[in-house]
Amino acid sequence: MTNGFQIVVCGSLVPDPLQTLEPVTTPQGPGLKNETMLPSVLDPWAAHALFEAANLAKQIAGSKVWLVSLGPKAKLQQLMMTVAQKAPFELVAIDGSASGFTDAHGVAAALADAIGAIPGLDKSRLLLFGGCASASRDASVTLQLVGERLGIRDQFVGVDEIKVQADGSFSILERIEGGQYLSSTCQAAPAVLAWATGNLPEPPNNPQIGMANMRGVMPALQKAKPAAVGVGGIAYEKTEIPAQKRQTRIVKDATADEIAREIVEWIRS
Amino acid sequence: MDADIVCVGFGPATGGFLTTLTRALMNPDGTPAFESKVMPGMPLQIMCYERADDIGFGVSGVVTKGRAIRDSFPGVDLAKEIPNAAETGHETVAYLFDPVGASRRTASTKFMDGAFKAGGCIMHKGPHGVELPWIPPFLRKEPGLVMSMGSFMSWVGNQLMGTGLVQIWPGTPVSAPVMEGDRVVGVRLADQGVDKKGSPEAAFMPGMDIHARLTVVADGPVGAVGRKLDRHFGLPEGNHQHDWAVGMKAVVELPASCDLKPGTVIHTLGYPEPEIFGFLYVYPDRTASLGIFVPSWMDTPIRTSYRYLQHWMMHPYIWRYLEGGTLRSWGAKSLQESGVRGEPFLVGDGFARIGEGSGTTNVLTNSGVDEAWRSGVLLAEGVIELLKRDAEFTKATLTGTYVRRRRADALDSELQVAKKARDGFQKNFMMGLMGTGMTGITNGALNLSVESCPPSQRIPPLESVCSGRLTPAKLAETVEACAKAKQPLHDALMTLAGWPEIPFDGTLLMSHQDVLFKGGKVQAAGGFADHVTFARPELCATCRERTCIEICSAQALMPGEEGATPEFDREKCIHCGACIWSCSKALPEDRERANIEFTAGSGGLHSNEN
Amino acid sequence: MAKIFALLHTESDGSLPKAARETLAAAVNLAAQTGGALTVGVLGAGAAAAADAVAGCGAAAFITVGDHAVAHPRYATDAAAATALVQAAGAEIVLAPNTSRFARCLPGAAHRVGAQIDTHIVAVGGEGGAVHAQRWFYRQRILGSFSRTARPWMLLVDGGVCPAWQGPAGTANAQEVPVAFTAEDQRTTVKGVQAPAADAQTIRPDAVLLFVAGAGWTKKQKDGQAHIGDAGVLIQGFLRSAKASLGSSKSLVDIQSEGQETLSFMSHMNQVGQTGSTPRHAKGLATCCHGEEPHAVGWRFINERRAVNLDPNCGWAQGKADVVYVADAFEVITKVNALLNA
Repeated sequence: MTNGFQIVVCGSLVPDPLQTLEPVTTPQGPGLKNETMLPSVLDPWAAHALFEAANLAKQIAGSKVWLVSLGPKAKLQQLMMTVAQKAPFELVAIDGSASGFTDAHGVAAALADAIGAIPGLDKSRLLLFGGCASASRDASVTLQLVGERLGIRDQFVGVDEIKVQADGSFSILERIEGGQYLSSTCQAAPAVLAWATGNLPEPPNNPQIGMANMRGVMPALQKAKPAAVGVGGIAYEKTEIPAQKRQTRIVKDATADEIAREIVEWIRS
Repeated sequence: MDADIVCVGFGPATGGFLTTLTRALMNPDGTPAFESKVMPGMPLQIMCYERADDIGFGVSGVVTKGRAIRDSFPGVDLAKEIPNAAETGHETVAYLFDPVGASRRTASTKFMDGAFKAGGCIMHKGPHGVELPWIPPFLRKEPGLVMSMGSFMSWVGNQLMGTGLVQIWPGTPVSAPVMEGDRVVGVRLADQGVDKKGSPEAAFMPGMDIHARLTVVADGPVGAVGRKLDRHFGLPEGNHQHDWAVGMKAVVELPASCDLKPGTVIHTLGYPEPEIFGFLYVYPDRTASLGIFVPSWMDTPIRTSYRYLQHWMMHPYIWRYLEGGTLRSWGAKSLQESGVRGEPFLVGDGFARIGEGSGTTNVLTNSGVDEAWRSGVLLAEGVIELLKRDAEFTKATLTGTYVRRRRADALDSELQVAKKARDGFQKNFMMGLMGTGMTGITNGALNLSVESCPPSQRIPPLESVCSGRLTPAKLAETVEACAKAKQPLHDALMTLAGWPEIPFDGTLLMSHQDVLFKGGKVQAAGGFADHVTFARPELCATCRERTCIEICSAQALMPGEEGATPEFDREKCIHCGACIWSCSKALPEDRERANIEFTAGSGGLHSNEN
Repeated sequence: MAKIFALLHTESDGSLPKAARETLAAAVNLAAQTGGALTVGVLGAGAAAAADAVAGCGAAAFITVGDHAVAHPRYATDAAAATALVQAAGAEIVLAPNTSRFARCLPGAAHRVGAQIDTHIVAVGGEGGAVHAQRWFYRQRILGSFSRTARPWMLLVDGGVCPAWQGPAGTANAQEVPVAFTAEDQRTTVKGVQAPAADAQTIRPDAVLLFVAGAGWTKKQKDGQAHIGDAGVLIQGFLRSAKASLGSSKSLVDIQSEGQETLSFMSHMNQVGQTGSTPRHAKGLATCCHGEEPHAVGWRFINERRAVNLDPNCGWAQGKADVVYVADAFEVITKVNALLNA
């Protein structure tokens, strides 16, 4: 690799995964109760992609990372306070709904347009990163659609590992059924890598990275173009939390022997 | 790393400070008004580091007159702009009788029960309680705001970040001031990539020093930086920080049948223990913030706020509003209740202190948020003056600007009036109420004052607390059984004292462990050291009360091996700091300090609607 | 009358995966409900033989891409083949199994044919020209029912949603659709499948029972010590004896990534719940788990659920399990293993 990669990570905010979610109907379609107030985090899979991108960029000289985020501007701004200390990146912000009920096709078009407009982007060095799904829309198609729109024909989904060779080719491990990996090699960028979890722990908060990132974050937010993403071609009939309450039988004062017998009987039944 | 100004903690004081300061940083033509001295050519570099994982996490519902806050946002309809806020509506103070017969009611409390029952003919009666016919003016919060501090701080943080003039970094605990002699030259962030004991691991990143011309210390009453400064400088002559309380609160979605209007304020006293005060504030959209205060002068080691909170919620006076509701979020926080008497040295070379940790809480009016905000505003005005004069931030210049403003402000005069309002509680509940009333009615001219002592020295032994209720043999048996099961004592002792078991429904009433999962779950990122340790482990071996375990808001402190220190689970801690002032073992070398070391830690609550 | 297209792929040995037969069943049902015409397409190694294997499904036509270029899953060649098949079928509604292979390539194919695509479909049905589907949003926490009017519409159906199609094999007379694969399509070389290490072979999607291990296994036990080694032996012993698949709570996996001593055979691959998988098994046994709704989604698709837990009020189990045993999991699983091996 002489020039390094240009790694564009697509990722946006999702509700903090442990918050209580309740569907409501809004004039724009389905939404969440108190959606604007729910604390958000960077989508967990996209976060793994970002950490992997930063790690790769650190290893391969001349590489650079962009984070392309589509979300309400104010919420993106708050998200940056928790993300920007983690890894060096340049933000490309798009102002629009980050609801899980937006249509992936419209989101992909907005992301592809924004990526296409990044100055100096060299497709022969481009690695398009993101999560293999989001914790909100969970469509599992957005990144592939962005890749298609950008004309990238080498795509990998459920990636846990990339290893780059000296000639710029790379090998990839993708999760497939039954806890197995599909192992492939690809000759060169461009490629799409939709990440599963990867293997890196969450990086510590680094104040210097944060300070450096923030110089670009605020201008990027100010420049954020609105994107008219919404439910698109989806006609929602209903969004609900199915009642799943079971009548739980609590076995309290049984011995381990009694419990074991009952469990084994149940397993064998 | 270098900054011009670094703030520690993003609470209301820092909110007031940064809101005021940022408005002075730009010239009308859009150029920076002041140049950075650490990055010449750049605008002033201002950083704020917040311990919690996001801004607005883990604070509380409040009712406030909000005078200073409103002054900062002229023309803004705060009740409309801020989520979970409403104009203060109907205010009630209710005295609650004990419907279960387990409350620790002394002769004087029983006398008060009788008096209120007798007075019931002229007071409005509620279920097992009476409402005071008249709320003294010093307690009224109307006109004012009922709001969620979490939502308010998120809103303020977004406004501030939106200016692009200041960086606020949550998830970043500050472990200590960086000092050169008596001069504060910045702050040190907590080490990352360490094990429980703080030893470096593979991903070790030593806590970075952020050097700053001015360090604004606003990390609250249990903050690591403020407490380290107190240890270094001591407190001004005559001041002390002996009075504390833990406020445990919940956000509840009220049942459809509940007709309480947004802005409704209910304060209660008398139950579940006479010393425990309760509150219920109604937000818009049928949501309420409610909770109790357990004070350091509740002289028993059995201080389990969570079970008391549940008994309070189930009091018929409150339960009629809550039954059928859903608990959405929960949390707790220590309050420094010494008020202005706990005021530390407000400034020194390179630093200034604002907010609750600087003694701004008004213990007469029970108001702290607006006062904290005001102190931040006053510091900002002082800082702007110094920036304009191109002066350094020294003890002298900060005294001449910030301290001078603070002393001349209504904030300070009101704090002086309130100074002795709570003293009577050192004696007992009834004296406390009388003292507060006396101070309030005479505007501070007359007070009921008594000597005070550090909280560690007023925690009685178990035997004396349980005498008359349990035989010494039964107590010893219970203590042994709990030790064997490695369980805290409070549940067993409260049940033996006649408190009914809580009928868990999983929705509104749930086990202590399950409530940690509410409102985004209590959590802690890996790679930080334990922030609760014990200065002298050998003292723990002699401790039977173990009040740190009993008070622990989140069961993060649990009994350990016999003779060893309690065990600390960092992932459960919500950083309320109640262990600090509930430890009954004073250090031999400094009787004002107890055996708990509480340092900067990461994680905690993940709810911003508290 | 809708043109319904069941798009299937083979395994590398030429067989049809179970998920493909399930999708075929869903397509047959949908054709019956909508009165639509069904076409079946198969791509991958041995596509023509695979079409014969399902010749009795009642499809009006069978088309295949069996070119060696699609012998292994690869985005570019799979997307090109799928595009050709969908176009050849003139499909309006495309049903395909939500396997890793199709999840990778069909979004791109959808884009190329101007289709809209939805994945993780858990229910599909129709009447007349209208087709309705269901899938989960927010990671199995909100169920959405929806439809689209645009055609073509591709729906990737999750495994286990429909019983697999069973019927007579025959002669499908499948027509091979020519695809002009380019060198550009073959810049990626598939090296093969890596099975997990023998001691980590704990994910068994076809197992009847899912065993969910929580962080409690690594915590200090009654004697004040952690017994992580014992926990590992017990859990692996159970998995072997009960032929169970292993799932883990998030906190247990997180402990692992933080470098604390933990169970070496456990990885992120095992994680179930909000940020993990949501496997389908007939039975589930949760041990030492403590979590709220977001974690409990990990066993949303487990039919019969039991839990061993020290806290009877545990939110993970209360109202979500059929039976909760309030007991020490170390003791219980020791006995269970002994009984299973007896």
